Amino acid sequence: MIENFASRLARVLTEYSVPIQRGDLVVINASIEALPLIEALYEAVLERGGLPVTMPTIPTLRDIFVRKATDEQLDFLNPLAMTMMEKADVLFSIIAPSNTMSGAQVPPERSARLQKAQRPVIETYFKRTFEGTLRWNICAWPTQAAAQQAEMGLLAYSEFIYQACALDQPDPVAHWRAVAERQDRLIAWLAGKQRVEVRGPSVDLSFRLDDSRSWVNCRGDKNFPDGEIFTCPLEDSVNGTIEFSYPTIYGGREVRGVCLRFENGRVVEASAEHGEDFLLSRLDMDEGARTLGEFAIGTNKGIQRFTGETLFDEKIGGTIHMALGQSIEDAGGVNKSQIHWDIVHSMRDGGEIWVDGELFYRNGDFVVEA
Amino acid sequence: MHENFARDLARILTDYSSPVKPGERVTIVGNLETAAPLVEALVEAVLARGGFPNVQGAAMLSPDYTPYFELFLRNANDQQLDHLDSTMMHWVNESDALFFIKAPANTKALSSVDPARLARYRRTIQPFGETYLNRYAEGKLRWTVCAWPTQALAQTAEMSLLDYRDFVYAACGLDQPDPVAYWLGFREMQDRLVEWLKGKSHVEVRGPGIDLSFEFADRPWINCAGQVNFPDGEIYTSPVEDSVNGTVQFNYPSVYQGYEVEGVCLRFENGRAVEATAEKNEAFLLSQLDLDEGGRTLGEFAIGTNKGVTRYTRSILFDEKIGGTIHMALGRSYAESHGKNESAIHWDMVHGMQDGGEIWVDGELFYRSGEFMVK
Repeated sequence: MIENFASRLARVLTEYSVPIQRGDLVVINASIEALPLIEALYEAVLERGGLPVTMPTIPTLRDIFVRKATDEQLDFLNPLAMTMMEKADVLFSIIAPSNTMSGAQVPPERSARLQKAQRPVIETYFKRTFEGTLRWNICAWPTQAAAQQAEMGLLAYSEFIYQACALDQPDPVAHWRAVAERQDRLIAWLAGKQRVEVRGPSVDLSFRLDDSRSWVNCRGDKNFPDGEIFTCPLEDSVNGTIEFSYPTIYGGREVRGVCLRFENGRVVEASAEHGEDFLLSRLDMDEGARTLGEFAIGTNKGIQRFTGETLFDEKIGGTIHMALGQSIEDAGGVNKSQIHWDIVHSMRDGGEIWVDGELFYRNGDFVVEA
Repeated sequence: MHENFARDLARILTDYSSPVKPGERVTIVGNLETAAPLVEALVEAVLARGGFPNVQGAAMLSPDYTPYFELFLRNANDQQLDHLDSTMMHWVNESDALFFIKAPANTKALSSVDPARLARYRRTIQPFGETYLNRYAEGKLRWTVCAWPTQALAQTAEMSLLDYRDFVYAACGLDQPDPVAYWLGFREMQDRLVEWLKGKSHVEVRGPGIDLSFEFADRPWINCAGQVNFPDGEIYTSPVEDSVNGTVQFNYPSVYQGYEVEGVCLRFENGRAVEATAEKNEAFLLSQLDLDEGGRTLGEFAIGTNKGVTRYTRSILFDEKIGGTIHMALGRSYAESHGKNESAIHWDMVHGMQDGGEIWVDGELFYRSGEFMVK
């Protein structure tokens, strides 16, 4: 049994990830599955002088809504949700599913209609986060459903998250400050360099960067836990092949054994051992879906196993991941797509990253750090 | 929304499945967090029928029945793993009827547990299983396994909880005007089938993915109509051990010990599976078949008859009953049907017969495309 899990996590979230100041309006967006963390965050925000607000969701209500709502009701936009998104200074979203497959039987046109109705909230979110007027973080609280998806018991899964968040460290805030500084040094080394080659078992890929691109330090501010550095390759510069070692779950669908071949920035060949039809349908969804929107290196050594939850999987220390589709403005990417599909690959068995002809990374470790 | 789901289910369990009589001692085994509505309804129904309800809300038998199973297996020392709880032995010896409610909070709770520790504890509680099976065989104890819908079961079935509740409700026949009358009629229908099969011997199963024959000789077919399992719906027998010949390519996946195996293909020669392949998790399939001498022998052949079980949900209590399917179990056979095969495994695999599958018995067409052709 882990003691003080929620309060330790809430402390790092409110002190380090998004330091809460007096008067901040802090919205906690979560399901009642995350009750212990909602309570702890609420308390921590109050202690720091913030104004916590929460409307916890009840998981089955969404199932009822999706099943019963008329088209008119599906188009309904909750004005309270809109107001919260317009007024919040901080938004904490907690991943705490009660059933990771609850949407599997929903007719796609109904979920699309529901998503469309909520678009003004999402757009406000993107606008305000881009302007910097809304600080945000996505974290996770262990639930039976997420544990089951990871093929673990809840106790084992709780320990997994606890370690991934480095809450087992004597001073977690100090640990995460050190992560941020370490990644700053790596990014300083990468600054101005242009040619990246990734080699190893099942991967032989190269791409270029120029001064329109930067590497971004994911240090636990926007995701928690965290641990990655990423950039957006020049859209037409990616060449080579990769056979991803991990499965990937996208939109509730599992795809395994993904193989991609890039030519001048586009995926010209794509296959999968399982779920190939779904993979291809996504890649052909729009013009930008076959272009790489992100290249990243996972650095969190507290995460050593695959769970099916991207928040954790893409941070696994010793892996890289790449996202097909939409690129991320922070790193200067310009690719546009409706998809942003992260797929993870292990580098621990002889994987190497060479940057401008220098060996930067090997077997999951940054050799330039020595 | 099935407001009376638990009450209706408890009624049929205590009225039809295992009719509770005044003065009977009835033990209800169910997780008090996940199965609370059905536990409560069963207590009420047992009281109403004059029985003495005894609730075991955290029986350390499997994660289906207690929230503490993972905790126990992670933390117990060897001495604790070897300890057989005497209160558990007490109620299994002193009950007239047992209800086991499957309501897991996490269907993968054992995946992260050391298999050696689990095996050690399973050996410890073996006397519990033997006791209830022996008392059942002696006619001193009735037992019924049922299920209560949980998010974990729904997730495993790739459904929302609401859809899954509907599924279980229909599978239990609770959507029928009079569920008890429905199940009585169901039992009679299967009685007629079992009666028709009596004295016959030779079975041929043909159709897409299957071409198989066996003898059941003087072994009986057993009518499973909701007493030991609820919901239910199957008739089964034990093929004569060395009589099975032919091939089957199972068109449903199969979950055993938490492993999902897909595309299983078996070829039988004189009763043994001499070839076995799978598209997914073949190594696990072979490891189980070669676990012991009886692992490659067919212990059961059954026909699923429950038309209310309309889809595959990765839960064998439901999957093997799907109306229009057959299933076969590799390994241990059942004494009721006079099977003689012994094995540590009993692995049920399901095959859909809805698209042209046929069963011929002594040269007569008995079943086609999911329907019985005899009256």
